[in-house]
Amino acid sequence: MKIAMISWEYPPRIVGGIARHCEGLARALVKQGCEVHIFTLDFPGAPEYEETDGIRIYRTRSEVGHPNFLSWVLLFNHFIEKRLAAVSKKVNFDVLHVHDWLTAPCSIGTKFFLGKPLVFTAHSTENGRSGLHIPDSFTIDGLEWWSTFEASKIIVTSNSMKHEVSGHFNVPWEKVEIVPNAIDPSKYQVDVDRWAVRGRYGIQPHEKLVLCVGRLVPQKGIEYLLHAVPILARRRPEAKFIIVGDGWYRDHLEWVANTTGERWRINFTGFVSDNDLVALTKSADVVVVPSIYEPFGIVALEGMAGGVPVVASQIGGLTEFIEHDRTGVLVYPRNPESIAWGIEYVLSNPDHARWLIQNALETVKKSYSWEAIAKKTFRIYEEVAGVQQVKKQ
Amino acid sequence: MTYTPLPPVPEEFKILSMMHNIGAISIDRSLTPEELSMWTGIEANAVRDSLQRLEELGYVEHTTINGLGKFHVTKIGIMKVLTLYS
Repeated sequence: MKIAMISWEYPPRIVGGIARHCEGLARALVKQGCEVHIFTLDFPGAPEYEETDGIRIYRTRSEVGHPNFLSWVLLFNHFIEKRLAAVSKKVNFDVLHVHDWLTAPCSIGTKFFLGKPLVFTAHSTENGRSGLHIPDSFTIDGLEWWSTFEASKIIVTSNSMKHEVSGHFNVPWEKVEIVPNAIDPSKYQVDVDRWAVRGRYGIQPHEKLVLCVGRLVPQKGIEYLLHAVPILARRRPEAKFIIVGDGWYRDHLEWVANTTGERWRINFTGFVSDNDLVALTKSADVVVVPSIYEPFGIVALEGMAGGVPVVASQIGGLTEFIEHDRTGVLVYPRNPESIAWGIEYVLSNPDHARWLIQNALETVKKSYSWEAIAKKTFRIYEEVAGVQQVKKQ
Repeated sequence: MTYTPLPPVPEEFKILSMMHNIGAISIDRSLTPEELSMWTGIEANAVRDSLQRLEELGYVEHTTINGLGKFHVTKIGIMKVLTLYS
């Protein structure tokens, strides 16, 4: 089966979880015998075309730009569509698979041009991410609705997202399929000098490292973790906090950190390399995911795979793979007292924390491998390619 | 989800975002502060102030080409901008 996968991000252009998702899925599909072609945007230093692990990657440069975000999006869609048209003269694609709304216009155009079925993965929604309160958000919401309308099948990563997409866009329940995210556990099977890593970040041997990883944007709920810092510091004075990631909200979060009276405990690292992230995860005493909107929450899964107890908000997809007090600890979202309680609970009960880790590792291994996720996705491709012929226009 | 008002996006971040959307993401597509001012409609001195701060933070770099200082968004600058949209 020949698949054209279209996404605005693909490594090394990494924004959130979509790039990793596309890469993991593409690799696993290739292993299952599929021919996968990725259509994405350019990134400094990355080639316009390459073949890696059997995946063919086409990176397109938008030759015309515009300061306005939505105008720019529509412009780069034209250039990706041009590339799709050129490649489709040589490759007879069976299925088009688009990830999120950003590349929906070119994917929908190609669907009608080639007469091939379209699968749309909704990784999140504008309504969930930021609410609908500015004109751009309404346009994005409209593009998301259009994508769900034109797709033969919609993939979401959790049951909570299925409810959100089906309800918000009035999509028939049976049109939405749940295929969870996955990770590669082998990434975490590396030896890490835990004490050296902690030392690099100023964590002394007797201190406890609380790690939080994510884009610094409001929906990640990091300000609630920052408000939990003074509460936890009173109970566990040895706690130190490392916040990995960057984003437009960083200035505000640093301002919040400055108001806690505990700024010296908090280290904002900015973006770190993949290897450093694995090393930090494996060196942490607890990983915290304080999100207030989370369709899936892959950083929690990564913490679980890294052998670290996870404390996460009881929200969205997080509640579907974290079983409270068995594979992790769930806390109330937007609630610093509850977040502090969850962290303290794990730090104060090391034997219980080890049991949580063991259960979490088994869950990750059993249910969240790329092989299993690719099989589910392939069945959806077979279904849409077998039963639906789109009328050429 | 309940809507709570967010702090405004910082001014220099808006300029970083516009530089990215224009396509100034490599040396060969870098722009002078005056060109950026024309593209964005922001006064040139304000653009220069923002560029200075963005360069200190590592989100933009400048190169001198034919005696002109030209600016482009770095890789981490691109990743920073993209957080606004996902």
